[in-house]
Amino acid sequence: METSDLSHHISRRFNEDLERVRGQVLTMGGFVEQQLAKAVSAMVEGDSLLGETVARDDFEVNKMEVSIDEECSRILATRNPTAGDLRLIVAIIKAITDLERMGDECEKIGYIAARLASQERPVDKYREIKHLGRVVQNMVHDALDAFARMDPEAALRVARQDRLVDEEYEAIQRQSITFMMEDPRAIRRVIDVMWVVRALERIGDHAKNICEYVVFMVHGKDIRHVRIEDVERELKQREQQQREGEG
Amino acid sequence: MGHPWWGIAGALAIELVRNLVNLHQFDHWLRNRNRRDPPDAGGLWGDLVSQVSRLHRRKQFHKKRLLSLFRELRRSTASMPDGVVALNSANEIVWFNRKAAELLGLKRKTDFGIQIAGLLRVPEFSRYLAKGDYSASLRVPPRVGDATTLEFQGVPYGEGQVFLLVRDVTRQSQLETMRKDFVANASHELRSPLTVISGYLETLALDDTLPDDLRGPIGEMRRQSERMTTIISDLLELSRLEATDEQVVGTPIDVVGLLTLLRKDLSARDAKAHAVELRIESPDGLMGDQGLIHSAFWNLVDNAAKYTPPGGTITLRWWTDDDGGHFAVTDTGPGIAVEHLPRLTERFYRVDPGRARDKGGSGLGLAIVRHVLQKHGGELKIESVEGRGSTFSCHFAPLRLVRESVAKATDSRYSAEQDLEN
Repeated sequence: METSDLSHHISRRFNEDLERVRGQVLTMGGFVEQQLAKAVSAMVEGDSLLGETVARDDFEVNKMEVSIDEECSRILATRNPTAGDLRLIVAIIKAITDLERMGDECEKIGYIAARLASQERPVDKYREIKHLGRVVQNMVHDALDAFARMDPEAALRVARQDRLVDEEYEAIQRQSITFMMEDPRAIRRVIDVMWVVRALERIGDHAKNICEYVVFMVHGKDIRHVRIEDVERELKQREQQQREGEG
Repeated sequence: MGHPWWGIAGALAIELVRNLVNLHQFDHWLRNRNRRDPPDAGGLWGDLVSQVSRLHRRKQFHKKRLLSLFRELRRSTASMPDGVVALNSANEIVWFNRKAAELLGLKRKTDFGIQIAGLLRVPEFSRYLAKGDYSASLRVPPRVGDATTLEFQGVPYGEGQVFLLVRDVTRQSQLETMRKDFVANASHELRSPLTVISGYLETLALDDTLPDDLRGPIGEMRRQSERMTTIISDLLELSRLEATDEQVVGTPIDVVGLLTLLRKDLSARDAKAHAVELRIESPDGLMGDQGLIHSAFWNLVDNAAKYTPPGGTITLRWWTDDDGGHFAVTDTGPGIAVEHLPRLTERFYRVDPGRARDKGGSGLGLAIVRHVLQKHGGELKIESVEGRGSTFSCHFAPLRLVRESVAKATDSRYSAEQDLEN
């Protein structure tokens, strides 16, 4: 399904409904991106006020999820979408759940950042969180871009980055264990840091999910629990077959 | 043979074949008219061919001219220093130039027809587009957390379409931040030496052994150093207010208690013995930052006292209606000429530079009031008639109001004062 296909609808109102709800999802995504950026910055800069703001503003994300959910139910009930349109609605309903979870993880980071701000900061100034935060922020950004452009190739590229995040997570975990053994007084703080890293890793997973919905939306193929390389190979084969069919 | 019909039939058949051949050639040429020369045919077919080929040449000529015009246009917009994005009435991208692609990360092949808010998801930008009010420009980074700052200016045209101009203002906004930081730092640095000077002046003034001819100058020095202290603390407050654009949420404020306290403070400090009238028409409170609201209201009340001659009346009024909460200070002072009204909230703006100096204000009071109100989503209105007096009023949105019981329960700062008074 291409974006231009959307414009071929007999009912223009239906088309407008779909585009509007898609726009709302991306607005919600933008807000979550901002929450994530603020949460990471609150953590790294030790800004307790910013952390509290992030935790407080999470209700906005929840509000958006509820309103988009209602809109989708209304479209399902009144328009009976089929094929690509149905896939779009299904993908949206799933994507907003992931976005809402991302919001919850940001809220968690905000709380911990506010709590840790009053404590002594480690020498490395949470460099690893800063780095992982940047990787995850880019992932979320690119996933939402792929969603906006309905670009399955870009989506697969982003999904592949999730492995990077997982590796980083493992590395930080090992490092943290060393810290705890060296200095038992730091255990409390290191556990909090682990929570933050874990939350970032989860956000990366949710971004990957959104990428999977993009592929589902465009190709009608469910790629969850399948290795990305296999998916790429299959999609390439399918493209080739299509080209041969045309030639 | 010899039958005349056979002859006619034969001639018709030949003619038919000739026409069919011509028709076929004509069709073949039409299909490949850009590569082939027109076929040679006599009579009607020849005319037809030359007509069509003339039309074709003319169309080709116009097409070329339009194409070169279009290329020229595209080249010129590509070399523009600012980014331009054309949006249709649904805010979908219709067209953009090279600079816009570079600044916003748009892709030429895929991004036409996509809603721009889907790609530029910075919440402030989405709000700017959704509001559709392009009277002001907007400064945001192209993506959340980016260090660059872009300035967006919408230019509406046609039926709901919009030209979006994009400029990189990273450097300007950095300079602006530097300026703000400088003012804040300078004020802060000036405060410590000033405290020392004020301290010594105070001791000197209280010294009984001081020669009489020094009393006057020392008194004047004390007054001036006090004024400097006021200016510096006002400057610091302004830079704090300017530091963020975000709205304050705050806590419930008991406005009735606040106003009662303001009147008491005024009567205590006022040297000119004005009649102060308090008209409280609503018991409701206000959501806001208690310190900021107090400072804004006090600035207005203090101004009124400064500019109203002895014997004048100052009225403080608080009322609520469907538009929200309103606080107004009315005085019977000399009033302000109309031409000064729009500039009154500028920093250090003086209606009459010579006269105003001895009133002792910092010249920043109204700027502070305006900033405080902006932070609460409110608005400052000034009405004045020369020779009869002025009214300064603050307007707050209905969402900012809280019920009396809530305000009293949460904000207990004034209840002690009120108890004493009763």
